[in-house]
Amino acid sequence: MASVQNAVVPGQRLGHVQEYNAGAGTYSHQDFLYASVVGIKKIIENQGELPTLTVQRENSQSAMPEIDAIVTCKVVRVNPRFAAVNIMVVGETPCKDDFQGIIRVQDVRATEKDKVKIYNSFRPGDIVRAQVISLGDARSYYLSTASNELGVIFGTSVAGGSLIPISWQEMQCTKTKAIELRKCAKPM
Amino acid sequence: MAADRKRVAGPETSVAPLVEYPIDHQPWTPFTEKRHNSHRQPEDLRPIYLKTGLISEANGSAYIELEKTKLTCGVYGPRPIKRAGQGFSDRGTLNCEIKFATFSCVKRRGTMRDAQEKELSQILSQGLTPAVRLELFPKSNVDIYITVLESDGWGSCVAAAFTVASVALAHAGIEMLDLVAGCSASYVPTSIPSNSNSSSSSTTESSTGAGSTVTPQIFMDADLEEEKYQQGSIVLAYMPSLNQTTHVLQTGKAEGSIISQSVEHCVEACNKIFAVMNHALLESIDQKKL
Repeated sequence: MASVQNAVVPGQRLGHVQEYNAGAGTYSHQDFLYASVVGIKKIIENQGELPTLTVQRENSQSAMPEIDAIVTCKVVRVNPRFAAVNIMVVGETPCKDDFQGIIRVQDVRATEKDKVKIYNSFRPGDIVRAQVISLGDARSYYLSTASNELGVIFGTSVAGGSLIPISWQEMQCTKTKAIELRKCAKPM
Repeated sequence: MAADRKRVAGPETSVAPLVEYPIDHQPWTPFTEKRHNSHRQPEDLRPIYLKTGLISEANGSAYIELEKTKLTCGVYGPRPIKRAGQGFSDRGTLNCEIKFATFSCVKRRGTMRDAQEKELSQILSQGLTPAVRLELFPKSNVDIYITVLESDGWGSCVAAAFTVASVALAHAGIEMLDLVAGCSASYVPTSIPSNSNSSSSSTTESSTGAGSTVTPQIFMDADLEEEKYQQGSIVLAYMPSLNQTTHVLQTGKAEGSIISQSVEHCVEACNKIFAVMNHALLESIDQKKL
């Protein structure tokens, strides 16, 4: 019934390390490359280098935050030292379960770090684009918004209207035109 | 009126239970026939039915059936560790839980997790952990829940649990070094020990006690009837492509030669089981494509 071409299962030997580079879904063990997931074997040709061998998985596991990944998260609570967030999306893939993360006060922006007030940067309910800087402690990942394109991408004002960015640290309510302070992400 | 949760609320009138055997049924003994199922040779396994993707809620799932041994398995995760009190770990953890359904054995099992289930859960975690690439799941946890729907032989049940759990893990897309196939074997004396008292020969105790004079036969994938006469058993968890063993569970007593012989038989059988696992996983790809 194995009608799908190049279908592999974990542990299947795929090739020699001298012929291919190990890509996603594979591992090397004693000079050989093996598949580590169920999926379709693919060979990606590289100019001047060894072709990369990958296994494209059929049933992808849910996304997990990695260092340097761009994540989309929701602020759940703030205090003067950090903003606690729930990581909901890693890159483009939504997580099945939310991961805990925190944005510490020194990681909010790159300049004038000592003048940062968490309360003027994030509020509970804001949707934030951030970057994972560390796997963090036992509970939460450490995130950073110290870049122009990172920060609040969506928020709701005190009056209940949605906020639109008017500068890198100000957002305006669409209902009342009141200005609220946020660390805004540069629109992409 | 509040429901009485302390007692089994059975019906007022009862009927006689359905008896599996006819009244003139002769119990099987290893001294008269070869195996409980007379079509099986000592090295034969029972036919295996294996299917993935039965539990839609789970990330990965599988179902295995070896005649009357029936197990399901659901795999959830990797998901973040929520439990407090655990420090940072750069590796993931595998949490394995096996549950015998209340109706799975000859004697009714309790709904609560008992000591045997806890021990088995630990054995399964130990046998599966070497096969999973846990270094790729920092701070995360993979949950494996196995339910025994029907148990026909303790050894075959454990072996099937290894097989079904690793297929479910692979189905969940969790990165693994290899699949883990499980296989069991029982050492059953097939002749009455010559130096023991023949009047009480059919009990397990007498054959175990004086079993040293009789070389037992190795029955692969023994069922419940055969296990009643065993003097020992072995369960092997084995990674067929890497040719590595992840767990050996040996009970009872037997000579070294018998044990090493049965390990060889188990390895051979695991390679056969691997073909079935392979087939089931490749089939799961086909289903999604079509």
